Amino acid sequence: MLRCHRSSGRLGIAVLVAAVALSGCGSNKNETQKGADGSGPEKVVKIGVIAPLSGPLTALGVGIRNGADLAVRQANEAQKVKGWRVVLDAEDDTGVPDVGANAATKLSDDKAIVGVVGTLNSSVAEKVAPILNNNHIVMISPSNTNPSLTQGTDPDHKARPFDYYFRVATTDAIQGPFAANFAYNDAKKRNVVVIDDKKTYGQGLALAFKAQFEKNGGRVPTVETVEPDDKDFSAVLSRVKRFNPDMIYFGGEYPAASLLTSQADQQGLKVPLMGGDGIYDPTYISVAKQAAEGDYATSVGAPTDQLPTAKAFVEAYAAAKYADPYSAYGAYAFDAANVIINALAQVLPDQKSITDDLRPKIRQAVQDGSIEGVTGKVSFDQFGDTTTRILTVYQVQNGAWKPLKTEEFK
Amino acid sequence: MSLTAAGLRQGGVEAARRLAGPRRAVVTVAGAALAVAGANTPWATFAFGYPGKMSLAGFPGGARAYVLVLVVPALAVLTRWPGRRAAGLAGSLGVLTLAVGNLVALARQGGGLGAVAYGAWLATAGGVLLLVGAMAAPDDEAPTLAERTLAPVVEAALVAVSLAVVLALVWYGLGVEESSRFASFAATVAFWASALAGVGVIGWLQALYPRHRTVTLAASALAAAAFPFTQGGEAQWIRVFTSIAIFATAAIGLNVVVGLAGLLDLGYIAFFGVGAYVAALVSGAGTTTSHVVLPYGVAIVLGAVVASIFGVVIGAPTLRLRGDYLAIVTLAFGEIFRIAVNNWNSVTRGPNGISRIPDLGLGHFNFGQPHRMLGVQLPGFANYYFLALVVMAFVILAFTRLNDSRIGRAWVAIREDEVAAAAMGVNTVRLKLLAFAIGAFLAGAAGTVDAHFGRQISPESYSFLQSVTLLAAVVLGGMGTVPGALIGSTLLLLIPEKLRAFQDPRLLIFGLALVLMMRLRPEGFAPSRRRQEELHTEGVGADALSAPPGSGR
Amino acid sequence: MSDLVQQLVNGTVLGATFGLIAIGYTMVYGIIELINFAHGEIFMIGSYAGLALYTYVLPGSWTTNPWVTLPLVLVAAMAASAGVAVLAERLAYRPLRNAPRLAPLITAIGVSISLQEAVRLFYPGGKNVAAFPRIISSGGFSVGGVTVPWTSVFAVVAAVVTTVALDRFVTGTRLGKAMRATSQDRETAMLMGIDTDQVIVLAFALGGALAGVAGVIQGIRFISVDFHIGFIAGIKAFTAAVLGGIGNIRGAFVGGLVIGLVEALATEYLPQGAAWKDVWAFVVLILVLTFRPEGLFGEEVAVRA
Repeated sequence: MLRCHRSSGRLGIAVLVAAVALSGCGSNKNETQKGADGSGPEKVVKIGVIAPLSGPLTALGVGIRNGADLAVRQANEAQKVKGWRVVLDAEDDTGVPDVGANAATKLSDDKAIVGVVGTLNSSVAEKVAPILNNNHIVMISPSNTNPSLTQGTDPDHKARPFDYYFRVATTDAIQGPFAANFAYNDAKKRNVVVIDDKKTYGQGLALAFKAQFEKNGGRVPTVETVEPDDKDFSAVLSRVKRFNPDMIYFGGEYPAASLLTSQADQQGLKVPLMGGDGIYDPTYISVAKQAAEGDYATSVGAPTDQLPTAKAFVEAYAAAKYADPYSAYGAYAFDAANVIINALAQVLPDQKSITDDLRPKIRQAVQDGSIEGVTGKVSFDQFGDTTTRILTVYQVQNGAWKPLKTEEFK
Repeated sequence: MSLTAAGLRQGGVEAARRLAGPRRAVVTVAGAALAVAGANTPWATFAFGYPGKMSLAGFPGGARAYVLVLVVPALAVLTRWPGRRAAGLAGSLGVLTLAVGNLVALARQGGGLGAVAYGAWLATAGGVLLLVGAMAAPDDEAPTLAERTLAPVVEAALVAVSLAVVLALVWYGLGVEESSRFASFAATVAFWASALAGVGVIGWLQALYPRHRTVTLAASALAAAAFPFTQGGEAQWIRVFTSIAIFATAAIGLNVVVGLAGLLDLGYIAFFGVGAYVAALVSGAGTTTSHVVLPYGVAIVLGAVVASIFGVVIGAPTLRLRGDYLAIVTLAFGEIFRIAVNNWNSVTRGPNGISRIPDLGLGHFNFGQPHRMLGVQLPGFANYYFLALVVMAFVILAFTRLNDSRIGRAWVAIREDEVAAAAMGVNTVRLKLLAFAIGAFLAGAAGTVDAHFGRQISPESYSFLQSVTLLAAVVLGGMGTVPGALIGSTLLLLIPEKLRAFQDPRLLIFGLALVLMMRLRPEGFAPSRRRQEELHTEGVGADALSAPPGSGR
Repeated sequence: MSDLVQQLVNGTVLGATFGLIAIGYTMVYGIIELINFAHGEIFMIGSYAGLALYTYVLPGSWTTNPWVTLPLVLVAAMAASAGVAVLAERLAYRPLRNAPRLAPLITAIGVSISLQEAVRLFYPGGKNVAAFPRIISSGGFSVGGVTVPWTSVFAVVAAVVTTVALDRFVTGTRLGKAMRATSQDRETAMLMGIDTDQVIVLAFALGGALAGVAGVIQGIRFISVDFHIGFIAGIKAFTAAVLGGIGNIRGAFVGGLVIGLVEALATEYLPQGAAWKDVWAFVVLILVLTFRPEGLFGEEVAVRA
């Protein structure tokens, strides 16, 4: 008996030493502590971030956090909110709704938090939005695409469920039809097979595309579903080949998309693949290589080198030397954070502390305000959706994404 | 002297033992003095945000206070109590661990050893001396506290006090915000518990609890119910503990299947999911596909019943399967459930799941709103917390009655040796199905609470990893016992929230923890006596009870 | 008609990979009755090892020649997979040889999770999908409307060659015979003077090596790898092993082919087949275990105490 205690004891001690030692390096990942030592005489206001900082979606979540962080840094350097220092508090939701809800509750307990940039996934947002909404904390998502978060569940009687929820990303209801119009009118495709990855984002987008494309007069002979983690699409592609499509529309993300396009090529199905901003990533091309040539993707906003704000963001991001790239949603997060900062700059300067009656004012400032963002002009309609409906179609040319057409979706 | 770990340890102890009598005491006292001095002096050369204001002298902030606390048991070797050597070892190792651990952490965060001030070195030196003093102590008698009996009232009071202490520690621990200080705190509690175990206090309490069942239960229930009132209106930990309560309820249900009946189920989360979806579908949720709205009292029963039907359906084909195959088939069923729910857009809304599930209401009492109770403003989550506690209490009651009943004994018979049980006249088919059905019933009930608490459900919450986590809670906590399932659930859900700095390697740590626990303490933290004896009688007349099934051919 | 043949071809290629992984499961289970949950991850590590060799070790001038690169990548993958498998056996499974069934199972799950996370955290760029080099050109040949890419040819050839080699080893050599004996009755094998520990290590190593080959096949066919590929592949491969008769190497390979064919044909002929693709393997598993637990080629499973 004693022997057993000792051996587990020794190992347990080693583990505890390691835990104490390692946790020390964790305490500077969270930049805020209540009553942190070393804060200056300024008042502190906090912006939270809820995104996947660990787990399979880390690349996207870290990009969001970094984008928001850059905005906060710039705000402090330029003293945008007079008399106040803005602090970022990033919490990990690991892409799981329950963890996100815990993060939201944690942030809500902190009275200095007035706004949150997040979440990445719509499913997490469903659990987070009610919590933040109840606590009158503004929430701006850089990437949720599920329309019901802003327009409610009945498409015929739109009603805004969360007054404090906004988003800077466009919903599928816009990106899908935009792609359909391009495919029909510009690329002159008539017979498109639609594939989706069964996730909220992909499925919503694919179905929106199909509806509009058929409305335009095109044919969608079949809609296939694949597992997002899958690697072997030969069976489904062989099946699809039979319909002789002139294009494949894929609602999903680049890991599966890049494999789809290269396997389609291998099977002799040499037609372009088109997708949404989920596939608009350099990794798509680096994996699919030759097979990606000629493929299309849509993305919100004008190309980054056309807008001065976008160029400034790219340069500032590089100069800040973050360890990871801003990936798909970093720029949106930057815009979202700036919207909040802009609202704070209007409401906070003469205030002594953050009282409860300030929160509705901050929300109103967000609702009414507008900024020149990376993706164009950012402002919100009555549901909290972004009014920017500028989208760009990109095409892979010579191994890189090149903008093909930018237009406002009506 | 051989160079193995055991050999070195033996050699070290022998060397230490050369310090006899008064010299040993001097070493111990010197060590204590150094540790105390170290605790009151700076550990960091400049302030860089490490918790506890480590650069200040005369002020034992942060982990330094914990060092002071651990010096107390380290000094136990100077007394005449039985078990003092173990206590002394625990205390001194604690001091050393805290000192070294924080030293390394300070160096890493501060950018090198230059950031570490003399206080940390003093404390380390103190810890080493204390350790030497403790190792030098001669082996002493086993503690006999457990055999003592006091007046029943006094004993009952002690039980209540011990549970109140636990509540206080939990309340304090939750208040520790910084991950590093929390790790130090957790280490301190662990070492203190080890010291108390060495002196026999833990064993004594373990003997007291069953003797005063009602007081233990009442005090535990009171402590659990009192928890939300300790939070000062903040919602964060109430929410986490509600999740823990719901999860623990499911874990106790799994305990019926795995712990009592010995049926390895790796797809258990599916039953939980069935309950959740049923409740969501009849709740009149914002995004639901069904137009049936039933009151929650009906929903919870309906969810549990539908889940138990699934349990029977899944159990039926598996009756003839042995352990490993059963595990894989249940895993397969669990995955089929997840994929089906993910695809079945017309009913379960596929990957979107069902959201805008309304809050529960009892007349005018809306569960989602904050309420004032006993003079304290409690956030909305507290209502769900109490509901979860009620459901959990019911499940615990069901489990304990089953455990003590003929059915429970029949299950244990099947678990230990199915062929013998059948030969004894136990209807294995019926009882196995019953185990699945009851386990699923309890999980389904827990699932219904979860649907309303979270206000949203989606297929990704019902993955294989969740089943593994449930199983881990049961196994790590201690199979076959209610406290085991509770401890396991609390550890697995609380630690990641408390140590949010560790989110990235969280799963890796979980995987390694599983491997380590199975290697070192497969019976879990709070096992039933039986289990502990089963798993640790190695080679000493190993009988049929402890032999692994199927090892005979 | 060519559709059917095309799907048969697809299914065969898919099944060959499953078969290779299934052999590893069946060998280990046959000898120590442990479902090595981590075997899927060993397959994944084989992929990454091949990728790592190509990216970090091979000099640029060599990488253009597939006849040089491919064998080296295969060797690296086999070595890495076998190595990890043996390590797992030594550190995690051997101490629990005599423990009740639950402990090794949970340990195996723990090892599986740890390996996945270790790759995700410590391999550079492990969090994202990694592009596997195109060692074999992406063209193929067509015969009567049926397309067969070169990568598929490689896959089937590699799988068949390795399986036949293993089969030869197990039936023809002394060590192989020792393995079969241990698989039949461990205690008696010990009594006969066989070093069962060594045999067990060999089983892990060989199973691991085959999984490593499967990993390279995976990388070459799908020109991408990520840390998650082990999980689903593992479950399907285990199904294949059970289908073929646990402990039977040839059966495992045949089982793999069957699973692959079922998936391909289901995708083709069942409505929304692709969405339910993963489910078929599970359904087959449940059916087999319910109606014929000894699998296609296995012996009657005795009811054990």
